[in-house]
Amino acid sequence: MSKIMTVDILSSIKGAQPSEAVNKLFDVIKNAHTENNESFNNVNNNALSVNDLRDDVVIESSAIEKQIIIENFPKEKNGYLVVSKVIEE
Amino acid sequence: MDSQIKKIHQQLVSKEITCTELVQRKLDLLKKNTHNTANSLLESSALELAAKVDAKISNGETIGVLEGIPFGIKDVYMLQGTYTTASSNLLKHYKSAYTATAIQKLLDAGAIPIVKENCDSFGHGSSSENTIFGAVKNAINPELVGGGSSGGSAVNVAKDYTIFSIGGDTGGSIRQPAGYNKIYGLKPTYGRISRYGLMAYASSTDCVGPLAKSIEDIRIVLNVMSGKDAKDQTSIESESISEETIANTNTVKTIGYFKNFIENDAIDTQIKNDFLASIEKIKAKGIEVKALDFFKSDILVSTYYTLAMAETASNLSRLDGTNYGNRIESENLKETYAVTRSENFSEETKRRIVGGNQVLSQGFSDEIYLKGLALRDQISENFNKDFEEVDIIISPVTPSTPPKIGDSLKDPLAMYLSDAYTVGFSLGQLPTLTIPQGTSTGIQITAAKNNDAHVLQFANFLKETI
Repeated sequence: MSKIMTVDILSSIKGAQPSEAVNKLFDVIKNAHTENNESFNNVNNNALSVNDLRDDVVIESSAIEKQIIIENFPKEKNGYLVVSKVIEE
Repeated sequence: MDSQIKKIHQQLVSKEITCTELVQRKLDLLKKNTHNTANSLLESSALELAAKVDAKISNGETIGVLEGIPFGIKDVYMLQGTYTTASSNLLKHYKSAYTATAIQKLLDAGAIPIVKENCDSFGHGSSSENTIFGAVKNAINPELVGGGSSGGSAVNVAKDYTIFSIGGDTGGSIRQPAGYNKIYGLKPTYGRISRYGLMAYASSTDCVGPLAKSIEDIRIVLNVMSGKDAKDQTSIESESISEETIANTNTVKTIGYFKNFIENDAIDTQIKNDFLASIEKIKAKGIEVKALDFFKSDILVSTYYTLAMAETASNLSRLDGTNYGNRIESENLKETYAVTRSENFSEETKRRIVGGNQVLSQGFSDEIYLKGLALRDQISENFNKDFEEVDIIISPVTPSTPPKIGDSLKDPLAMYLSDAYTVGFSLGQLPTLTIPQGTSTGIQITAAKNNDAHVLQFANFLKETI
């Protein structure tokens, strides 16, 4: 897998190009001075303890919720919700 | 200004006005409004709820303080059965299947949602011009922007179209429009209010918060929405803040401000002078004021946008038109994804998604994304040290006055840099309130994490002082 993925492919946006304004922001980070590499170990300060995780249970959606989910689906044919053709590569 | 919520509550209880009249009056104002604040009106559901409140009152039942109070919701919150567009083409016809926790708590307290409010698409902007519903016009001068991204919410409160509104703040999106429209806007401590049902922009700084015309109304709404929620595992337990607590304004002994925010060329001279004059008035009350060192504005802005773009690229990857959204069919699934996203996202949203994918790519992540995370840690450590020395930090909200409608879209870099004073507090996940005093775009009051009560206390102190 040496295929190079360009930002337009990564973003699923046709013809997307990196922008000059955003690159200027990134240049500031590249040139910034960080105090030491130890702070790299601190980055997950929003992590949760395993004991805090909620139970892994399936909750049945209400009838109105199901109805709205179906209503939001973009395409229906003969009572089926239709997705686009998947191609194998 | 005193509590609007309590005033209206009294009027309802004493039958000076019916809830139906009140709600209808607000809906009429919203319909006529030319500030582009409303994406959709919740007319029939609001009037139904109002009739129930009226029935309760005429039966002699007691009503809660929020019961029957009409409010607005930024159009990024789920409210079952209502259109929730994020002001985007992609979700123009999307209906919420469920209700956000924060909004549900307000519904449970009896408040009545009347409008889904215009904002920058997916929160991507600082002016509420990045929207399919037309640029939000400033409440004071309609030639200027309403601010963003919660621009519609701020203008609705400022124009009295809603009693309070619920905005979302990722890098300043409540505080900056509050400043531009001269009202109060609070970004609480990260996690104090559940994010469940808020469309994710940058999950590590996204906050739910109220905009209102008084500190007391901010307190009432904050208390109702706060609390740990199993559906948002980053949410935290917090204590209710009492009216007595925030009335005690003698607790603050030392405050600080960041001298590099003030001593630079980017700040408007009038804002600078007004801010320094406020500092002098605070000193005159016997409070010690310390000038603190802080990171340069361009580092703060770049760190924030690097992380926010990375997070939004990930969060918005789900929007591909398969299960919901304005799908545009093409020859196969991948093409359908690409065409749907290319045609439906705004230029600003695409710019941020592409930027995010850039920094998350192999070869870039180490020197940009991971370094951004390290900088964020340093910024947080800096705040921790500061709050060992001072109780409160105050800052201007923005370096400049609101731009004219049309100017921000021409220069995205200038728009990013205009967030210089708000993004640092977001990265620190600190409670920060904009008050409509001190400079023409207000002042921000910040305290250490979980000290939201101190922020409101000091706001009460400044109300009398500056």
